[in-house]
Amino acid sequence: MTREDILTLIPQRDPILMVDELLEAAPDGGTATLTVRPGNYFLGEDGRMEETGLLEHIAQSASAVAGHHALAAGATAPPVGYIGEIKKFHCHRLPQTGEELRTTVRLGPEAEGVTLLAAETRADGELVADTQMKIYIPRG
Amino acid sequence: MRLEHHYYELNSMHTGGRHGRFHIALRPDCEVYRGHFPGNPVCPGVCHIQTVKELTERLTGCRLRIRSIRLCRLKAVATPSACPELCVDISLSDTDGGLLVEARMADAERTYMDFKGEMTKEDTRTE
Repeated sequence: MTREDILTLIPQRDPILMVDELLEAAPDGGTATLTVRPGNYFLGEDGRMEETGLLEHIAQSASAVAGHHALAAGATAPPVGYIGEIKKFHCHRLPQTGEELRTTVRLGPEAEGVTLLAAETRADGELVADTQMKIYIPRG
Repeated sequence: MRLEHHYYELNSMHTGGRHGRFHIALRPDCEVYRGHFPGNPVCPGVCHIQTVKELTERLTGCRLRIRSIRLCRLKAVATPSACPELCVDISLSDTDGGLLVEARMADAERTYMDFKGEMTKEDTRTE
């Protein structure tokens, strides 16, 4: 999948587009990547990405998986989702510019548009952040 | 990133000890709405969390990092037109090696976010 494809999977756009590629998608989850580049909206003064950038990247990684499944099921546009809840988020360190983040999302059951998920973000194999999250995707 | 003067303006603040009450105005012209979402401006929940972080830095006078979030509930979808002005209440207490931050973002109509997490003072040493 290319960066062009990600625009078909999620509705976010610059300056807050926080996924480069969806590497794999399965019914129960998937993996997405983001390289932290200069000019990223979430960069702090010291050139490292803020914790909130990690959270947005994780949410959009989950959204990309949901978008993949929605399009496969016949949707014509990527679903718009919102973060409903963040629980047990841990930030182990802030990513540096130039690092590639790789986030694995495991999707739990969905009820009334709310999906529970667990995610881990790694850079070069090292755990950077992990969290649980609820994503709300209103049914169109 | 700095959200003050971009995402929000601070209209007033009242702080005493370990509590602060901040009145902010959301800026509808913030560039983030170009992408979130095109033609449909919705406040990113993570920008509300970042706003709480910045206001907590103002309250403590320290640069902070978010070490963990125990629970953050984004209870209503916020937009700069639906809730142009918000009140942010922040309470601090000590926790193991850091600061427990409890915050609520609300207007007269509803609560948009409840946040409970740990922040630590930024380690400015070079690694």
